[in-house]
Amino acid sequence: MIRICFARAFKDAVGSSGLRTPSVRGCVWTVCTVASVLTVAHLQRCWLWDAPWGGMVSVVAAEEPLVNPPAKPEAEQVPIYFETHIRPILKTHCFHCHGEADHKESGLDLRLARLMQSGGEGGPVVLPNQPEASLVWNRVEAGEMPPGGKTLSASEKELLHRWIATGAKTKREEPLQPMVEQWTEEERSYWLFQPVQVTKLDGLHEIGSEPVLSNNPIDLFLLQKMQPAGLTFSPSADRSVLIRRLAMDLLGVPPTPEEVASFVSDGSPDAYERLVDRMLADPRYGEHWGRHWLDVAGYADSDGYTEQDIERPWAYQYRDYVIRAFNDDLPIDQFVVEQMAGDELVPQPWENLSPENIQRLAATGFLRTAPDGTGQEGVEPNVARNDIIAETVKIVSGSLLGLTVGCAQCHDHRYDPISQVDYYRLRAILEPGLDWKQWRDKPAKQVNLWTAEERQKAADVDKELSELEGKRVAELDTIVADIFEKEVMKLPEDQREAARAAKATAADKRTPEQQKLMRDYPSLNVDRGSASLYDGARINEFNKKYETQQSEIKSKRPADRYLAGFSEVPNQAPTTYVFFRGDIQQPREPVLPGGLSILGEHDKIPADDPAIPTTGRRLAFARHLVTGVHPLFARAMVNRIWMHHFGRGIASMPGDLGVLGDKPTHVELLDYLANQLAEYQWSRKRFQRMLLSSHAYRQSSLQSPQAREVDPENRLLSHRSVRRMQAESVRDSMLSASGMISYSMFGKPVAVNPDEVGQIILGNATRDGNGILVAKQEETESVYRRSVYAQVRRSMPLGVLEPFDPASTAPNCDRRGNSTVATQSLLMMNNSSVIKLSEHFAKRVQREVGEEPREQVRRAWSLAFGMSPSEEQLQTSTEWLIAQRRALTKPVAEAASGAGSGEGSASEGSVAGASAVSATASGPGAETGVAAGTLEPAAANLQSLAMYCQALYSSNAFLYVD
Amino acid sequence: MSFSPCFSRRHFLAQQGIAGATLAIASIMQQRSVGVPPKPSLSPPSNDLKPKPSHFPAQAKAMISMFMQGGPSHMDLFDRKPELEKRNGENYSGELKYDNAAESSAKIWSGPWKWDRYGQCGMELSELVPHLGAIADDVTLIRSMHTGVNNHGQSIYALHHGRITAGRPVLGSWLTYGLGSESQQLPSFVVLTDPGGLPVLGTDCWSNGWLPSLYQGTVIRPQEPRILNLNPPPHLAGGPQKAYLQLLQKLNAEHLAMHPYESDLQARMSTYELAEAMQSAAREALDFHQETEATHKMYGLDQDATREYGTRCLIARRLVERGVRFVQIYTSTQQWDHHGNIKDALPAACKKTDQPSAALVMDLKQRGLLDSTLVHWGGEMGRLPVVQNEKNVGRDHNTYGFSTWLAGGGIKQGVVFGETDDFGYQAVKDIVHHYDYHATIMYLFGLDPSQLTFARPGGVGTLLDGQPGRIVNEILKNPKPA
Repeated sequence: MIRICFARAFKDAVGSSGLRTPSVRGCVWTVCTVASVLTVAHLQRCWLWDAPWGGMVSVVAAEEPLVNPPAKPEAEQVPIYFETHIRPILKTHCFHCHGEADHKESGLDLRLARLMQSGGEGGPVVLPNQPEASLVWNRVEAGEMPPGGKTLSASEKELLHRWIATGAKTKREEPLQPMVEQWTEEERSYWLFQPVQVTKLDGLHEIGSEPVLSNNPIDLFLLQKMQPAGLTFSPSADRSVLIRRLAMDLLGVPPTPEEVASFVSDGSPDAYERLVDRMLADPRYGEHWGRHWLDVAGYADSDGYTEQDIERPWAYQYRDYVIRAFNDDLPIDQFVVEQMAGDELVPQPWENLSPENIQRLAATGFLRTAPDGTGQEGVEPNVARNDIIAETVKIVSGSLLGLTVGCAQCHDHRYDPISQVDYYRLRAILEPGLDWKQWRDKPAKQVNLWTAEERQKAADVDKELSELEGKRVAELDTIVADIFEKEVMKLPEDQREAARAAKATAADKRTPEQQKLMRDYPSLNVDRGSASLYDGARINEFNKKYETQQSEIKSKRPADRYLAGFSEVPNQAPTTYVFFRGDIQQPREPVLPGGLSILGEHDKIPADDPAIPTTGRRLAFARHLVTGVHPLFARAMVNRIWMHHFGRGIASMPGDLGVLGDKPTHVELLDYLANQLAEYQWSRKRFQRMLLSSHAYRQSSLQSPQAREVDPENRLLSHRSVRRMQAESVRDSMLSASGMISYSMFGKPVAVNPDEVGQIILGNATRDGNGILVAKQEETESVYRRSVYAQVRRSMPLGVLEPFDPASTAPNCDRRGNSTVATQSLLMMNNSSVIKLSEHFAKRVQREVGEEPREQVRRAWSLAFGMSPSEEQLQTSTEWLIAQRRALTKPVAEAASGAGSGEGSASEGSVAGASAVSATASGPGAETGVAAGTLEPAAANLQSLAMYCQALYSSNAFLYVD
Repeated sequence: MSFSPCFSRRHFLAQQGIAGATLAIASIMQQRSVGVPPKPSLSPPSNDLKPKPSHFPAQAKAMISMFMQGGPSHMDLFDRKPELEKRNGENYSGELKYDNAAESSAKIWSGPWKWDRYGQCGMELSELVPHLGAIADDVTLIRSMHTGVNNHGQSIYALHHGRITAGRPVLGSWLTYGLGSESQQLPSFVVLTDPGGLPVLGTDCWSNGWLPSLYQGTVIRPQEPRILNLNPPPHLAGGPQKAYLQLLQKLNAEHLAMHPYESDLQARMSTYELAEAMQSAAREALDFHQETEATHKMYGLDQDATREYGTRCLIARRLVERGVRFVQIYTSTQQWDHHGNIKDALPAACKKTDQPSAALVMDLKQRGLLDSTLVHWGGEMGRLPVVQNEKNVGRDHNTYGFSTWLAGGGIKQGVVFGETDDFGYQAVKDIVHHYDYHATIMYLFGLDPSQLTFARPGGVGTLLDGQPGRIVNEILKNPKPA
């Protein structure tokens, strides 16, 4: 029932405007995880954000069917118990002041029903069966509690009332006193905290009379849920559909027409499996799948935090590590251990490092992605440092545990059984490397990869440079003195000596007469900085001379090679404290590192590893996660991989598998997969092979009317859901179809900069005619590199990616949004990069098949969609092309005179200047589309084809993957 | 959260945000009766451009700011100083802060221009701005502006976004963030740049800073395509794009037939229709065909000197008429920065801007729009009372006292406010700092700048950023009640 409401509400809300389909903008928003927020302002915000503002999400009860159940009357008289119904409400709204804090307001503790009956300073607050006489009800009813304008919802109030009215029952006998981290049975029985179950597959094989389409257990698990709903899988997808699906899923770019043809005609029984293997071995796999992980890690090439958004010149080493790790199929356990603690695997000092050890250190870039305000102007250093710790805890917990623990920074988690102490245990794992009281600035944390020889060379060069600088300043001072003397000579003769004396005197030591003299002749105030205003030519020449010398010397300096990884200072471990209300100025009890108490892991991480000079906490934590089949880690990992192949996770909120997330559609399948991943020695590729070999993955997107009726969201996966490409794939696929794509891998990112209107484009900023820094569209190889290599500036998302919901970097992204908005359409219609790529696409088609329209259409289709048009489509398209050629071509009589506009390039229009009118009806055939063309035949042919190609780019067949 | 939740540079068009959907669900879910306690949403609070209520009743709905980059010489245009006339040629006896030491002098200079009193209010203005004289009874002239940072960049920043360093959201972004857009199809914050080039700070002048990018200013360029991504390049405009869209529609319809139940595919098709509607709305706003001969003349479109700038003033009026919240007009880079040749260059700059600027006020007034539209005219600084460069006389920078005028949107009419010292160097009476100016504008729009906040690392971001902005009640028709 709830589900229907949901889906319908979405449709109502968007359908009426016809603009948008259900989507989530950006990434999952954690409810009150605000890292920066260790201030009073934060607490206020946190308070607000605790409130269920905006869209409330329904809780899918364990028994709730996944598909639309038959309507039945609301069960009015479900028994209401404290543990099941009331405690979660009070925990959300009241425990903070009436329970958890040392000081309990009014001496009242609401954490147990028995304590409510014994009451606080004002006496009992609950009188069983007498809600109207119960203080707690009176205060809530009157809107007095909770304070601060926050109120319980109508349904919460109703529950509270009914609970008291029906005797204020508890489900079982309560302990005498509430104890911290004494989790209730309800909390402990939550699915996520159960051990990963080993499912017997035997029973699965007996699924009714359903023809079993494959032996893949995945299919059996899915069928088991489908059958009661009267559903089954769709048939297999066509091979041309399959290869495009695989290529987009694994590589992020479409297959070439040749690859399609070869697969379609491959008669061998294992054609599909071999195709999967080929793609998994393709280096583009690591670029596409590495990007998925970079989302979760919150990778960026800049610090963010303040408006300065300082660049991170070495962050890309981590990006490259991730791409390599995916391509090399680095086992996930090792991948995680290296990212969490690669530094603890490499003995210090870090000099003359082996390539393997460099990779291990690069891996720790994972812990360096959080926005970083340290060292920036106007930032309170301690707040900024603690913000980094908080954001890193968030990234680590969301990515590796699939939980948002941030809420527990200020108080026990309101929804999940995560205590505030739990939060600080996790923090204690990271804090030795982020010691905010003995902070190391960025240079101190960098690892210099120079050899001893390179170090020596650099020191020599630096010495030479500093000597040159001394010479330069001395010479500049003589120029300044010359200039001053010239200025002096402009003064009446009798004042010149006085002027020289005044100048020679420090400004604050001058006599009143000297001060007046300098005021009357302000041009006497020449100094190093203003000298160029007096004698620009000489200073120019001077600067040029020294710049040349400097750059000559600098050219001998070995290029910088650094790693910006994570490390600890050996034998130095700060004490981690619980911060009262998250306030860094109110440290309370010290805590030791540990995992979550609900899992009994609170004491599983030793505070120190005697075998290594650093604490070894991170190493122990990472190893703990990858030992056996950890209920959170293993599930979180497989859920993400599943999400990228099937469009949504088995649990749809991959960064929050807790109560606030969405219950998994197939818990047993999730557990089966978690076990399998461990069984496969954490080989991602092997695991993916299993997913990809399922019929569930290979089925067509054909939706049965029955599925449409009972499972409109396709939660049961009875067919393939059509998916829009992610932002990078939209751009990369256009690059690929146009033939312009550059597959050069790794290295420094391609710079992004604002163009003349502030839109962010790829390319370096240069000064325009007025000396203002702007970027211009370039035609270099680097701007055609894959999007994963575009610089990720937190303040400058790339214009062509931005409308298509790229990863949030604040601080990371658990799940991409999937919006459908007019900005995307406007980009496809008018963006100069899209238009430019359409022209390249057209030129490629011309090069490959010549001018014959039918052949052009065929080729363009196979490059864009990986398939051939039907005869009817071919006919329509060909006619369109011919009509456009005709419309754009200059009438024959005129063709001899005047030049066409070359290749119909997207050059800027002429200056419209004062005439706004001219802006309204330019271009051939404004409005009517029948005006005479102006182009030479060759140019008209190209432009028509370019427009055709642009239409293919803009079409759903291109933007969506079947 | 560290940087803004969706630190996206998505442009204005994202107004079809998800907020509506979320709210609709919220209300439906609230009607749901007993069950389990509700959970907060995992989606971020969304930002959109839907109209939003102001904190208290607004007097202005829209603003047009004519930004005179470079620093018009207030003592030659708006702030007559008899002391300069009296002591012309003498040395100034106090300390002055110069920008250009090499050409600096202490010699007091009184410009050659005549002064007169204009309007019923008798506002004293220079002969260089006679058209301003004609609307003197509609404006408040502030003679005591102050930013106190002696260079263009910093002072432009201060007036645009409250602080002297880069990267913060500008006033137009704040207004659209706070109030949303009245127009469904036009951008809410529009910037009209000069064909002579970008302002000296480039695109920072319309930056959303750390606000979500849909609050970034949208530039109407002086050349085709006028609005990037909203207009096609000339060779595709009109017929070719129509043909492209028709083809696209056909391709998508065929594709949809194969996936009849995928609502997203249909939604995407309708976004192309919406995009087209937005394009034609923008085209219509820039099309002057319906404007009368008299209007063309009024804005000076019939004269070479005023045509270009007048065109942009007229566009600004058309945009405001169509619900645009904030229009920023720029003059070309440092057009008013008269370090030298002020005797020719200042009259030329006035010639270009005076008539169209005044016409804009008159036109808004005759259309009944002036009451709800705040008009601003001014730069980031004034000039010094002394000669710079005796060989080619000019004046150096002065951000300690300068003039600006405002009209409409709840501003008093025919008022002169504030004073500089006898030499026009420092504002001395009723000083209006940039943050006072901002506080006053926010008030006119019904916004409390301390309530209009955005979550940021280490706290919340506001326009005033903790500076003591004072609402300049003295120039308001309806002052803020005590």
